[in-house]
Amino acid sequence: MEYGFDLSYVFEFIPKLLQTLNLTLLIVAGALVLGIAVGLLAALPRLYKVPVLEHLSMVYVSFFRGTPVLIQLFLFYYGLPEILKLVSVDVSRLPALYFVMLTFGLNAGAYLSENIRAAVLAVDRGQVEAAYSIGMTGFQAFVRIVLPQALAIAVPVFSNLVLAMVKDTSLAFTLGVMEMTGKAQTLGTLTQHFLETYLALALIYLVICSVLERVLLLVERRLQRHKQRETKSRRGWLLRRKHATLGQLTREAVAGSKGGAWG
Amino acid sequence: MKLDPAFIWTAFVQLLSAVPTTLAITGVSVLCGFVIGTATALFRLYRIPVLAQLSAGYVTVIRGTPMLTHLLLIYFGLPVVVDGLSAELGLGWNSAKIPMIAFAYLSFSITAGAYLSEVVRSGLQAVDRGQIEAAWSIGMTTPQALRRIVFPQALAASLPNLSGSVIGLLHGSTLAFTVSVVDLNAKAQIVASTNWKFFEAYLAAALIFWGLTILIERITALIERKIHVYRKGGVA
Repeated sequence: MEYGFDLSYVFEFIPKLLQTLNLTLLIVAGALVLGIAVGLLAALPRLYKVPVLEHLSMVYVSFFRGTPVLIQLFLFYYGLPEILKLVSVDVSRLPALYFVMLTFGLNAGAYLSENIRAAVLAVDRGQVEAAYSIGMTGFQAFVRIVLPQALAIAVPVFSNLVLAMVKDTSLAFTLGVMEMTGKAQTLGTLTQHFLETYLALALIYLVICSVLERVLLLVERRLQRHKQRETKSRRGWLLRRKHATLGQLTREAVAGSKGGAWG
Repeated sequence: MKLDPAFIWTAFVQLLSAVPTTLAITGVSVLCGFVIGTATALFRLYRIPVLAQLSAGYVTVIRGTPMLTHLLLIYFGLPVVVDGLSAELGLGWNSAKIPMIAFAYLSFSITAGAYLSEVVRSGLQAVDRGQIEAAWSIGMTTPQALRRIVFPQALAASLPNLSGSVIGLLHGSTLAFTVSVVDLNAKAQIVASTNWKFFEAYLAAALIFWGLTILIERITALIERKIHVYRKGGVA
């Protein structure tokens, strides 16, 4: 078949693909909500060293981090109805979308529980003690002292996770969910212009990811206000900064005195 | 349909035949990706005019798009380019002669290159500038200093990230089924649909992947212990 590459198709396909963007974002949002809840639940037994639950949570995290998402998708899509049938619950008529959200949610939960655990452990114990010493209650100390610091530590990893999940949603087409990649395949088959559809698809993902990255970076900066000054003084072997000029120094000093990343 | 625990073992044994393909895809993409990644990371670190911007663009685009789209773009795009070229030059060679697995190798190497570029870059940046200055001060040339002083430390610093990327690529290799390469996932699909036992087959596949992942983690921990020997007796 004579096949001509035609760039105009790319622009024609973009609005068509964008129609399914809300489904992609719905999967991400649903999975994130479920993931945060499950992640917190899985992190707590390990933080408080609850005997049996601790090991269960370890196996859960290890399994979901140790197997490909694609396999997990198939496993849940085919396996869950069969298992639930044993307790006489019929879910085989449920749309595939729910299975996708459940799988991505549990998958995200495993990564998030590690993220949460690491963040809470990274907050210095002295911080809580200091809070107690000035008369805060346990709850106050957690909300005002530990939580903001833990959030600041957790956010960079969290944003990586969100971006990875946006890209992973492209796997949902394997279960027949009509999100962007599924739509792109249909468009490709209909018009026989596969290359153009997938270029349009890649462009959309790129824009979404770039925008999300920027937004999450802003959140990160905002949450990490309290440690702006430490990070500035790092030096690597390749940074050939000879001597800072007087202008640079004063600018840094001014920015530092405002105490913000915005200067 | 009934759950058949015994079939998990049957499927497990049948799936083992596809493990070499999965490992080959992972291995090739990690090795090629490491070469691409190191080159692009060095371009960016040394701020080589045009190449640095190209590398940065490459890393951003690849990291901002799903691995699946890379594979599909290569799968549909490469034949167009190859056929066009061979028609132009009269090579008498066409895209139908490209083996399917080559698409997976090429596409996953490109993906791996972008991710590993960031791994290598952060590893190199983690080495203190004083290290290379000390190497110069005892008369080493820059290549010597890089090879003997900077690279070993950078490798040690980037090992956890490296292992994460390798695991990510191992898991990503399951996408190869979209271009009809029979890797572990595709094999599981075949075993599942011929026996009509989907859950058991995928569970077996999951177990194999789980085992492989734990293996990679163990190996990393072992190398880490070896590689951090120079830190023995330090201040820490």
